[in-house]
Amino acid sequence: MRYYRIAMYELTPVQWVAHAITHPVEGFEDMRWKKSGSLKIAFFIICMLFLANIANERLYGFNHYVPYDKIFNVVPYIVKSFVVFGAWTVGNWAVCTLLDGEGTMKNICIYSAYALVPYVTQLLVNTLLSHFLIRDEAVFISIITIIGTGWSAILLFSAIRSVHQYSAAKTIFAIALTIGAMLIMLFLLILLLSLIQQVAIFFSTLFMEITYRIRD
Amino acid sequence: MKKIFKRAVTAALSVILCGYTAIFTASAKEPYDVYNYDRWGEPIPSQAGYTAERAVSGYDLGVGAMNMPSDIFCAFDGNFYITDTGNNRIIAINSDFTDAVRVYDSFIMADGTKTALKKPSGIFISAENQLMYIADTENSRVLITDLDGYVVREITKPDTEIYDSRRTFNPQRVIADKAGNVYVVLNNITTGAAMFSPDGEFTGFYGANRVQPTAEIIGDYFSGLFMSEEKLTRRTRNVPSGITSFDIEGDFIYTCTSSSTQTTDTIKKLNSAGKNIFANNEAVFGDYSPMYDTSQNRVLASAIIDVDIAEDGNINCLDFTMGRIFQYDEDCNLLFIVGKNADQVGGFKQAAALESCDDRLYVTDTMKNTVTIFKETDFGEVVHKASALHNSGCYEEALDPWLEVLKYDGTYRRAYLGIAAAKLRSGDYGEAMKYAKLADAGKIYDKAFEGYRMEFIRNNFEPILLALIFGSIAIAGIIKSRKDKKAALAAERKKGKSDEKEER
Repeated sequence: MRYYRIAMYELTPVQWVAHAITHPVEGFEDMRWKKSGSLKIAFFIICMLFLANIANERLYGFNHYVPYDKIFNVVPYIVKSFVVFGAWTVGNWAVCTLLDGEGTMKNICIYSAYALVPYVTQLLVNTLLSHFLIRDEAVFISIITIIGTGWSAILLFSAIRSVHQYSAAKTIFAIALTIGAMLIMLFLLILLLSLIQQVAIFFSTLFMEITYRIRD
Repeated sequence: MKKIFKRAVTAALSVILCGYTAIFTASAKEPYDVYNYDRWGEPIPSQAGYTAERAVSGYDLGVGAMNMPSDIFCAFDGNFYITDTGNNRIIAINSDFTDAVRVYDSFIMADGTKTALKKPSGIFISAENQLMYIADTENSRVLITDLDGYVVREITKPDTEIYDSRRTFNPQRVIADKAGNVYVVLNNITTGAAMFSPDGEFTGFYGANRVQPTAEIIGDYFSGLFMSEEKLTRRTRNVPSGITSFDIEGDFIYTCTSSSTQTTDTIKKLNSAGKNIFANNEAVFGDYSPMYDTSQNRVLASAIIDVDIAEDGNINCLDFTMGRIFQYDEDCNLLFIVGKNADQVGGFKQAAALESCDDRLYVTDTMKNTVTIFKETDFGEVVHKASALHNSGCYEEALDPWLEVLKYDGTYRRAYLGIAAAKLRSGDYGEAMKYAKLADAGKIYDKAFEGYRMEFIRNNFEPILLALIFGSIAIAGIIKSRKDKKAALAAERKKGKSDEKEER
């Protein structure tokens, strides 16, 4: 019997993704036990999240949603995928290092990214479905949204629990703290940006002033 | 050969030049840039629906200079009546707007005495009983006279409990409905227009505006919950802006409010019970977003001071701040924006009142002391024809006019809506989808898409069915083969391991 189990768990990296997302309770535990998980695939998933966000906004069925397509600004999509995920990873790592978590930054990144697969799938499936369904049938789209998002939330919980080897209560506490840490980081980021802007304006005015004086 | 080439070049150049001059004369007539709103609610250049024909002063009419002509009315007989406020008179003008037919300086009362007007500011002529209703502002009365100048009735400040006796009675505008009920807009009353029965008895107020629920007012409401009775009686009260002007068309009264801080109830369509039919309408009247004027450091928000309903049901609104006329169809879709505050013909200094008659708009200006006449352009004519057909439900008949409209102005959103509706009605779903997309009309697109999908399935039923069957068979096959593979692999491993064991 033991051989059979081992045989089952000699999976390719892609098979590991499938295993993790189809086994919400022990999938990530198995991954941890086998020390599996690929940073490349994690990065690919986040890229897909980025693209799916754009697709969901811009390629959505016209009868369900009318986008403001006069301009295209990529920054909100970058924020919605890379920046938020990065903040989540760093924030979770920072919080859980203090809370006796066992996860490394690499593992947090990999496990969290794997947990996002249902959410990304939901975005893409809905984008596709919106071209086949009319408004009266939009309830199917919302069902898929709820299932995809809920599934991802459960997976994310399970991922954090197994990467740090936490109890359920501690996981919830850690996630709440992580969200707080993310907000603080984003606040500091904005502060930094505005500061840089002010400094830049200062130097540009200084430069302008000097050029005017020289011209005189 | 060279000659032919030369000729060809000259011909081509002349054609281009002709085109240029044609465009130039068509667009350079207005002293302002004509614009309309696109599907994102952003202003874009557009074709003019009306163009200023001429400005008429009192001298042109042979009655001397007008002084603050504050209201104009087009009567049933085709004549125009202007209240010449500063000169305390009413001027009747012929339908061509070339000569004054009659000047009413004074009126003869029932007892034979003469009575003069004092700053009259509103006039209405009823087609039913052929009476003239004059808001005689500074005399605090409404005069009802016949067209020969004999006073039939005089309405003065009502002596009832409903009307606060401390308030003055200064009528600004007056109208009468078919039954002869008189409605009077008063300059200091925010509870709506005063309503009088045909025999001059005060019957109450009509069509008050709502208080707009701004953050401040909501905050006041909550802080009011904790205040004592005494405090409550002494705080400032939140009252809605009063009605500025109104017009009657059929059984409906349209009111407008010029308060630039108010965004709800700027235009209302009231039924006989005083209920606002536009209450749940999301339409915005006037400019979508106020313009900030850097030279004066103030925000120029639209203030609609007069409303007029054309015979075809279009709603004309006069914006005092920017001197613009906004024309909407009866469903509140924006058709045209005309006018500007300017010195040239077609511009205003202080637009006061608006009246429409056939294909022309008449706007009085209390600073220029003129009446500016706008004439419908060819473009305006086509749009009006199309929108009238569309609004009466003849979508397919409106298709050709709408296509014609697009030839004039390819960014005219209303036309795309009309074409989409027409194509949908005629069952041309693909085209309807295309135009609905251009018009940003999600609802029409959805309806068209439903039909398109149904048609597609009906036409391709066999291939779809076959694809479904073969697809499911193929998927089932793949799943089965994968399972077999896995089982074989597991069996092989097991065998290999047991072999290892045996060797040990």
